Amino acid sequence: MNGETQRLLLLLQVRGQLFVNSLRRPNRRVELVVQGVGMISACVFVLALAAGVFTATLTALRNSQSWILGLLLWAIFLVWQFATMLIEGYSPGINFREIARYPVSFGGYYVLNCVYGLTDPAAAAGTLWLLCMWIAVLVQTPRWAPGAAAVLVVFVVFNIFCNRLIAGLLERFQSTRKGRERMAVVLLLIMLAPQLIQFAGLNWRRAPGALPGRSALLRFTALNDLSPPGAALQAIVGSGNTRLFAALLLVGFLIIGGLILRVQSRTVYLGELHSDEQRARRDVKVPLGWKIPLLDDTVSTVLEKELRYLRQNTRLLLQIVYPMIIFAVFFSGRGPGQRFLASTHSSSAGLLGIMAGLLSLSIANLCYNNFGLDRDGFGRWLLAPVKMQKVLLAKNIAHAGPFLLMYTLICGLLLAGSRVSPLQAATVTVSFLTVILVQVGAGNLFSVYWPKNIDLTRMSSRTVSAAAGYAALLVIAPVGILGGLIAMTAIYLSLPWLPLVAATVIFCVAIPLYFVALDRTAVYIDHHLEEIEQALNK
Amino acid sequence: MAEPVIETKALRRTFGSFTAVNDLDLVVERRQFYGFLGPNGAGKSTTIRMLTGLLRSTSGSIRVLGRDLETDSLEVKRRIGVVPEGLALFERLTGAQLLNFCGRMYGLDRTMAAQRTTELLEFMNLADSSDKLVADYSHGMKKKMALAAAVIHGPEILFLDEPFEGVDAIASTTLKRLLQRFISRGGTVFLTSHVLEVVERLCSHIGIIQNGKLVASGSLDELRAGVKIEGHDHSPLTLEEIFLQVVGGARQSEEEVLSWL
Repeated sequence: MNGETQRLLLLLQVRGQLFVNSLRRPNRRVELVVQGVGMISACVFVLALAAGVFTATLTALRNSQSWILGLLLWAIFLVWQFATMLIEGYSPGINFREIARYPVSFGGYYVLNCVYGLTDPAAAAGTLWLLCMWIAVLVQTPRWAPGAAAVLVVFVVFNIFCNRLIAGLLERFQSTRKGRERMAVVLLLIMLAPQLIQFAGLNWRRAPGALPGRSALLRFTALNDLSPPGAALQAIVGSGNTRLFAALLLVGFLIIGGLILRVQSRTVYLGELHSDEQRARRDVKVPLGWKIPLLDDTVSTVLEKELRYLRQNTRLLLQIVYPMIIFAVFFSGRGPGQRFLASTHSSSAGLLGIMAGLLSLSIANLCYNNFGLDRDGFGRWLLAPVKMQKVLLAKNIAHAGPFLLMYTLICGLLLAGSRVSPLQAATVTVSFLTVILVQVGAGNLFSVYWPKNIDLTRMSSRTVSAAAGYAALLVIAPVGILGGLIAMTAIYLSLPWLPLVAATVIFCVAIPLYFVALDRTAVYIDHHLEEIEQALNK
Repeated sequence: MAEPVIETKALRRTFGSFTAVNDLDLVVERRQFYGFLGPNGAGKSTTIRMLTGLLRSTSGSIRVLGRDLETDSLEVKRRIGVVPEGLALFERLTGAQLLNFCGRMYGLDRTMAAQRTTELLEFMNLADSSDKLVADYSHGMKKKMALAAAVIHGPEILFLDEPFEGVDAIASTTLKRLLQRFISRGGTVFLTSHVLEVVERLCSHIGIIQNGKLVASGSLDELRAGVKIEGHDHSPLTLEEIFLQVVGGARQSEEEVLSWL
């Protein structure tokens, strides 16, 4: 076995070890189980899709609908390239830049880089799906099988080149903190884009001529044959010169991809490094800290820190204002949102209820992991001569504040337009406040039972632990059931004021319970300091 | 005897079956510059974490400034300053914001917190970086920031866990200046460090811990008097020689190990 092969095996072994080590969760069995369930689900999903690709290819060939194969090739190509960005981090990997530090020749480094690309989960899934596609070709049209095998192998290698190019770019971005954070925001926007387009599309469909030109779509389809997946398709199903041209085009893509990757790898191999820029400033300007009326100094100070943290984290801010974006996009233009708004009072009250529900669910992103952004700084809370209850209270105010503000805005808009009656608005508002109180109270406990370090530079880093996410169901479900029962009773007995009275009573009961939860959380922290600190530093 | 400001009795901390600190009896008096030494894993950081309220003890008692840490922890915390092992900094605040925040958490009013922040940033040579996020600071700058955060409220005792680790000579000089000034004004320093030369130069008293037990304690002269090394000439023993003798680290001759190197 030569040196490069040994290094490759070693690399694969290290990746395997990293994966196994990532499963280690001292005292975190629930997390491990949730992670295990997630992995099994992902595997089942990939296998189901493999069966789907096989069936779709078989059907497409049987019915001479080759465009379906084109769609499949595009889908595989996109998943292979973009899933890497989105799931990077779920698969503990190696920063490939580090490999250049070892005595590896450039040729060896380049080969290792390419082969390493095959160990990516998206690459494994993509290869499996292409294999299923080839098996279907073999079953349905055996005479195409040898050619299809060659084409698909070239397509796999091309995908690996592209994948490694993207991974290289990601590593380059991630070499600076700012780059990492900007990247995470861009990726979040990519993830949110389909939903926003879908909402916006509902409006556009109603506005004649507003949809992007259909002809542009057709032009794109015509250009498809010149794209890598299109070329791969024509190289399999085309005939005569078309097939030859497509095969040559695909090989051309492969060579160009390989050369660009070579240039990129060479740059990294030669040790080009980026780091956060150092910028000197002269004057020290220390503004006075905040003093928030009605709050004591400690709570004001902690609140200031928390709001500064939120303001600096674009990704979290985006998550906070997302319900407002949905509200704005859905109810702008001439779509169903507008028609919904223009309808009767009761449906507008329903809308207020929906937004209140959305907001009270969204707050979980922040309040179920109160210390997630503190990381090392968690120790600072323990060193300071302050009661943990005050710290938690300030965090709760900071987390609930933006949501209360958004709700006030929405409710105000609907009230101003006489869309909802004061009774309906009061009922929804008190219910909203109750749910928010329950959420932050339960969130305090979840935050210390299942603390999780939030890495804003990694798209895959969730803002709350998976266990806390599931535990949330235990909070939301009873609240929802109770609300539903009260609403049904009110309708059945024709007592429109009943929900408001019931919500007020529950709110009054929730306040002391919140403070009980606050005390319990503080006691729990006191008894599990190192456990929490360890989890936050993972 | 001067007033003891740190006192532990039969202090013990276990992690499962492992005993990190084993019946530790420790006395540190006011104005002492106490160096707490020990090999890796001896129990230094565990001890300092217990003394500062970052870790609960399994058994035993801790009195700091005459108060029981268990029952009067807020008052103790108000009067001590700590540079913990991980520095415990909120790295997404700027240097100025962080110091201001720490000052106010210790009860300083807004004006005083801002004023002391300015002074400390100047003293620590961090003024040019005061509006940069702490996350973007170098390791040495973070250490200086942690020390500034520990002293901003004017504590009576400073607990420092490896303050000189990974710090360049310039930053190290700044830290030493600050500590000497602190001692000269009546403060007490409890410090752990692996840099024995620094401990020898700065500390008035030294304690050596091994396997969770205090195996030697006293001034450097007292330690010298208590340690005898066979074949040693009449020059005074260095702290390194005393340390190696006490913890038994100089057992293997160089020829015995790493013969291939």
